[in-house]
Amino acid sequence: MKVGFTTTIPVEVLFAAGVVPVDLNNVFITSPEAGALVEAAERAGYPRNVCAWIKGIYGAVLKDPELRTVVAVTQGDCSNTHALMETLELEKIRIVPFAYPYDRDRALLRAQVERLMEHFGVQWPAVNAMKAELDGVREKVREIDLLTYAEDRVTGEENHYYHVNCSDFQGDVAAYAGKVATFLKEAKNRRPRLARVRLGYIGVPPIFTDLYSYLEENGARVVYNETQRQFAMPYATQDLIEQYLLYTYPYGIFYRLEDIKREIARREIAGVIHYAQSFCFRQIEDLIIRRVLKVPVLTIEGDRPGPVDARTRIRVDAFLEMIG
Amino acid sequence: MVVAGIDIGSLSAEAVMLKDGELAAWSILPTGADSRRAAGQALVEALSRAGIAREQVAFVVATGYGRISVPFADRRVTEITCHARGAVYLVPGTRTVIDIGGQDSKVIRVGPRGVVEDFAMNDKCAAGTGRFMEVMARALETDLEGFNRLAEKAAKPAAISSVCTVFAESEVVSLIGQGTPREEIARGLCETVADRVAALAHRVGLVEEVVMTGGVAKSASVVAAVSRKLGVDLVIPAEPQIVGALGAALIAREFASQAKKPSGKTR
Repeated sequence: MKVGFTTTIPVEVLFAAGVVPVDLNNVFITSPEAGALVEAAERAGYPRNVCAWIKGIYGAVLKDPELRTVVAVTQGDCSNTHALMETLELEKIRIVPFAYPYDRDRALLRAQVERLMEHFGVQWPAVNAMKAELDGVREKVREIDLLTYAEDRVTGEENHYYHVNCSDFQGDVAAYAGKVATFLKEAKNRRPRLARVRLGYIGVPPIFTDLYSYLEENGARVVYNETQRQFAMPYATQDLIEQYLLYTYPYGIFYRLEDIKREIARREIAGVIHYAQSFCFRQIEDLIIRRVLKVPVLTIEGDRPGPVDARTRIRVDAFLEMIG
Repeated sequence: MVVAGIDIGSLSAEAVMLKDGELAAWSILPTGADSRRAAGQALVEALSRAGIAREQVAFVVATGYGRISVPFADRRVTEITCHARGAVYLVPGTRTVIDIGGQDSKVIRVGPRGVVEDFAMNDKCAAGTGRFMEVMARALETDLEGFNRLAEKAAKPAAISSVCTVFAESEVVSLIGQGTPREEIARGLCETVADRVAALAHRVGLVEEVVMTGGVAKSASVVAAVSRKLGVDLVIPAEPQIVGALGAALIAREFASQAKKPSGKTR
């Protein structure tokens, strides 16, 4: 049975329950008909001035008859998810809410994880065993990250791909582990390719289909994918609750910025691209990011899935001229 | 040595010729629907005015939205870099450049040595741009020059609440219907343009001396409104519309003097 989710959750619980976890964001953005999924939501009545990710997820769920249950993150992502839950419920989709506590309270997070476990009928031993298995893959993905920023053997897009898929391991841990191992073997034997400009990418993954390749074509490389890296749980810890407390994405900008500042220094990043989705509350947080970070920041905005538009290209080009 | 800078914007195409480091001639033409043809015509016109043959041009740098569509360009550079370079050349103490072009407005902060330190551009909408003013001028049944004359005559601005080009146009029509003088409407629209630019300027941090470039800098009412909202005097070059092309020509001169044309892909 497939179970969708709206943003990264303790996926160990779903795997332990024997269901196939599906990151709905990945289904939406990798669909050859991503634009049509957004349009389907708009035809259903979603407003034009709402985040395309929410609409894409709605469209993706309704398009797949095997997706009848969705874990919806009600706190720690965006409040549009509430209406997404309700509109999916209207279509007879079973909704399982999950909330990251804003203040990173350990007891509250434990209660949420255990509620999820109860819903899927699994116990801690099975969940912890699953965590050990997933951690093995995550460790390999950390090696990919190292090959990106320390050895210049992996592109920003490859780095993005292998991290972002750690939210659901493409629904099959063994198969994904095999993909990662094959890639690692090949990448380790590559000759390093230095980029003229080393960039950090912060914010949610881009809705643009060719941002990374565009940057590489212009002599720049993303050597730090902030959120995608978080999906791969970069802080190795034995304790599952601790792992999802260290995970930065759901916990507010200042906690995220600690990780961002640390990685900018460690990875010798010349400038940061902050991606903010059109109509997203995170556009407001941009002012905090710009004030706190001491490296040049380019803020770009995407609306619908597709290639980087001319206006964004000009911003990217100018930014690279400025820092390159 | 002769070099050229070509700036292909959404509304106008400009070419600047530099001969031995001195401004030899320039041209300003409407871009129209064919930016490639506009680039060629702008170059031909500037060459003609300078009395220079095409073969004498050692290097061409293209900038602006249409920079990719200039087939004879040796190099392509964004207008952020070009406007900064052009403004610093004309006003050596420049630390901030405000450029309001046809479809975007931008504020560029320049370091003490003339290098771009930060920039901000308007959102994905035409509010506060030359196109905005063009549409509003049409709603007031005049052209851009007439629009500026109207604004200069106003005793006070009309309150315009919308900055969206489409909604502002409806608001203008509504104000006309209510009998608000066209002069006050034009002045009110200048204030909305200035509001948008001021917000951008604060985002990158305003440092004097502030130079305003682009076609909209020819509007005394917009310049006055921006100056008042920012609380600084603005320096307006004699021909603010060619600053981007001038910057491109200055960059072309640097490349030409390096005596090598870059190979491979250019932006």
